[in-house]
Amino acid sequence: MLVPMKKAILYALKEDRDSILLALQRDGNVMLIPAAEEKGLPGAENVGNEVEKTHGAIKFMDMQVGKSSFLSSRTPVAYNKFLQNMPEAEGLAEQVATLEDKISSLRNEAITMLAQVEALEPWLRLDIPLEALGPTASSVYFAGYMPELAKDEFVNDIKDLTAETIILDEAPEGRAIVVFAYKSDGAEVKHFLKAHDFVDVVFPKRIGLAREIASDLADAARMKESLADNLEEEAKKVAGRRDELQLYYDQLIAKQDRMAAGGLETQKTFFVQGWVRADKTDEVVRAVKEVTPAYDLNFVEPEEGEIPPTVMENGKLSRPYEFVTELYSRPKIGSLDPNFMMAPFHFIFFGMMLSDAGYGLVLTILLYIVLKLFKPQDSTGKLLTVIFFGGISTIIWGILFGGWFGLEWHPLLFAPMKEPLKMLALCFGLGALHLTTGMCMKMYLDIKRGQLLSAIFDELSWLILFAGLFLMALLPGEIGKYMAILGAATIILTGGREKKGIIAKFFGGLLSLYNISGYVSDLLSYSRLFALGLATGVIAMVINTVAQMLWETGPIGVLAAVIVLIGGHFFNIIINVLGSFVHSSRLQYIEFFGKFYEAGGRAFIPLAIRTKYVDVTK
Amino acid sequence: MLTLGTTLAFAGAAIAAGLAGVGSAIGVSIAGQAGSGVISEDPDKFGNVLVLQALPGTQGIYGLLIAFIIVLNVGVIDGNVKELTTNQGLALLFAALPIAIGGLMSGIYQGKVAAAGIYLCAKRPEETGKGIILTAMVETYAVLALLISFIMVNGVKL
Repeated sequence: MLVPMKKAILYALKEDRDSILLALQRDGNVMLIPAAEEKGLPGAENVGNEVEKTHGAIKFMDMQVGKSSFLSSRTPVAYNKFLQNMPEAEGLAEQVATLEDKISSLRNEAITMLAQVEALEPWLRLDIPLEALGPTASSVYFAGYMPELAKDEFVNDIKDLTAETIILDEAPEGRAIVVFAYKSDGAEVKHFLKAHDFVDVVFPKRIGLAREIASDLADAARMKESLADNLEEEAKKVAGRRDELQLYYDQLIAKQDRMAAGGLETQKTFFVQGWVRADKTDEVVRAVKEVTPAYDLNFVEPEEGEIPPTVMENGKLSRPYEFVTELYSRPKIGSLDPNFMMAPFHFIFFGMMLSDAGYGLVLTILLYIVLKLFKPQDSTGKLLTVIFFGGISTIIWGILFGGWFGLEWHPLLFAPMKEPLKMLALCFGLGALHLTTGMCMKMYLDIKRGQLLSAIFDELSWLILFAGLFLMALLPGEIGKYMAILGAATIILTGGREKKGIIAKFFGGLLSLYNISGYVSDLLSYSRLFALGLATGVIAMVINTVAQMLWETGPIGVLAAVIVLIGGHFFNIIINVLGSFVHSSRLQYIEFFGKFYEAGGRAFIPLAIRTKYVDVTK
Repeated sequence: MLTLGTTLAFAGAAIAAGLAGVGSAIGVSIAGQAGSGVISEDPDKFGNVLVLQALPGTQGIYGLLIAFIIVLNVGVIDGNVKELTTNQGLALLFAALPIAIGGLMSGIYQGKVAAAGIYLCAKRPEETGKGIILTAMVETYAVLALLISFIMVNGVKL
C-alpha cells in the first residue's frame, strides 16, 4: 500500500540547528525540502572537498592492498563512537593524498626522463658535447633526422656542397645526422635539407656528451622510480589503517547529508520543511523534543500542486518485490501500490521459467547462505530475496513438471516436453488470470476515484466478453454466447462515448473493440513461460548427454564428465536465472502494469545515516 | 545408409545451431565492443556490462536446443540413425527455419540494443535494470521462434 505523507514545518533556534539535524538524521524519518536557491549550510563545501579527498585516499589504499570483497560484512560501530571526531583520520587522509601525489609525480618525471633517454639513443656516438653544438663566427650547423629512404641519395648530393656531415644511428623518425656548413652557404644547405624532408631535433637543455647525458638521465629516472617504490612501501604500511579512513568517510558523508539543507533563517531562528510518513510524526516530534523545548513543529497535508515522495509499504513476503516495481518506476502518489498483487505472479512465473527442482534447490540453498551470512541491505538484499523466493517456486514447479537437473523423474502434473499443448494451455490460463487481475486493479482504481462508468464500460465489459468466450469454449449451451455478445455490444456502444457526434461515437466504439487484438498478443506473450522452461530443460539435457558420452570413454573421460556436469549446470543456472528474472519482470511491466499502473512517483530519501563501510548500531 | 530425409534433417539441425549461433556471436560482439569502452573508463561496471553483453547470447542457445532435439529424435545420440522419408526430413528442415532466421536476426538487433544499454549503464548506472529490460524486449521474438520450432519438431513423428 502507499503510505500517506505529511509535510513537517519546523521552527527552532539557530543555536540548536546542528543538534536538531543530528537528531533528525538519527531518527531517519524526514526528507528535508531544500529552500529555493539554497546551497546548504556554511562549510558544506569544505566537507565536500574532504569527502573527495578521503574517497581518493581509500581508493588509493584499495589499489595498494586490494579491495575488500564485494559482499564482505560491515564492521559494527556504536552510535556514540560514530559521532566522535577523528582528527587522526583526517591527518591520515591528508598523508595518503600527499603520498599519492608524490608517487604519481615521481613516476611521471621518471617516464619523461626515460623518454628523453630514448630520444637521445641515435645520438650516442656523437663526439661533440651538446652545448658545443652551435653556430660559430663563420659556420652554421643543422642537427636532425633524415628519412631512411632518402639517405643514400642525400649523401651523394651533399658532396657537391661545401659541407661536413656526420651520420649517426637510426631512429623511428629517420637517420640522425649533423651537417656543418659555411655561413655563406647556410641558406643553400638549409634549402637542400628541406628538399630531403629533413626534420630538426630538439635536444634536452643539458651539458655534456649525448651518451653521458643519457646515462645521467637513466640514473636519475631509476632513482625516482626507487623513491616512488619506497613511498609505495610506506603507503602499504598505512593501508593497514584503512578501517579508520572508512569510518571517517562514512562520518563525512553523514555530515555532508546533514549540511545539505539548512532551511531559511533569521538572526536567531531557522525554518525547515520536510516530508514525513503520516504514521511517523510522533517519532519526529520525540526526536526534536529530546534536543530542545524551544521549537514549533506542525504537520500539514500536502498543498495543491505539491507532490510528496512515494513510499510503499508491504508485508514481509511482498516487500522484496518492491525492487521489481522500483526498477520500472515508483507508483504515482494517489495511485496504487501494485506489489501485493504482482508478487505472487512474479513468484509463479519465475519458477515456471526455471522449472527444474534440482536447480531450484541449488539456488535456494545458495541464496539462503548468502542472505544469512552477508545480510545484504536495500536493493541488493531485495533482489537476492526475490531470487531466493524464485528458487523455492522453482522447486515446486520442478516437482510438478518432474525436472531434476535435466532428468525426468515422476512429474506430478505432466512433463512439458512431452505434452507441449497442455503446457501452452497452462501458460495461457495463467496469463489470462494475470491480465484479468490487472483489469480488476484498474476497475478498483476507477471505482475508488468515483469513475463508475469507466469501470463498467472500459473494464467490466471486456471481462464479460472474455468470460463469455471462455464459457463458449467450455460449456455447451448458449450462455457463453450471450455473455460475449453483451460484452461486445457494451464495448461498441460505449467505447466512443467521449467522441462528439453519433457517427464518431459509433466508430469510436468499433475501434475500441479492435483492442481485442492487443489482448490476444498480450496473452500470446505468456508462451515465453513455456519456451524459457524448455530452454532450461533442454540445455540441461545437452549437458547430461555430453557428460555421458565422455563418461564412457574411460577414467580421464570420467573426470572430464564431472567437470562438464558441474560447470555446465552452473552456467545453465546463471544464464537462466537471469532470463527468468528479466522475463518474469517483463510480463509484469508490459502485460500487467500496462493495464492499470500509474508510474512517476519519486523516491523518499529521508535524512538518515547512510554508510558504505560500517554499520551504525544504536 | 543415410536417406535423403535423414540428410535433410541434418541440414535443419545445422542451420538451427549455425545461423542462430552466428546471430548471437554478432550480437554479443557488438555489445562487447561497447562494453570494453565503458570498462576502460570505469572497471567497476564490469558486472553490469557483462549481464548486458550476455543477453544476446541466448539465441545461440535456442538454436542449439532445436538442433539437439532434431539430432536426438533422428537417433544420432544413441547411435542408431533412423532412415527418414524425404517428407519427414523436409518437415524437420522447415521446422528449424523459425529459430534459424529469427535467432540470426534477433541476435544481431538485440546486440545493438544491448550496446545502447551499456552506454546507458555508463551514464546512469542506477538505471541499468531498465537497459536490461529494453534489451530483453527484442528477445521475445527469438523466444516465439523457438517455441514454434519446438512445436513443429515435436509434431514430426518418426
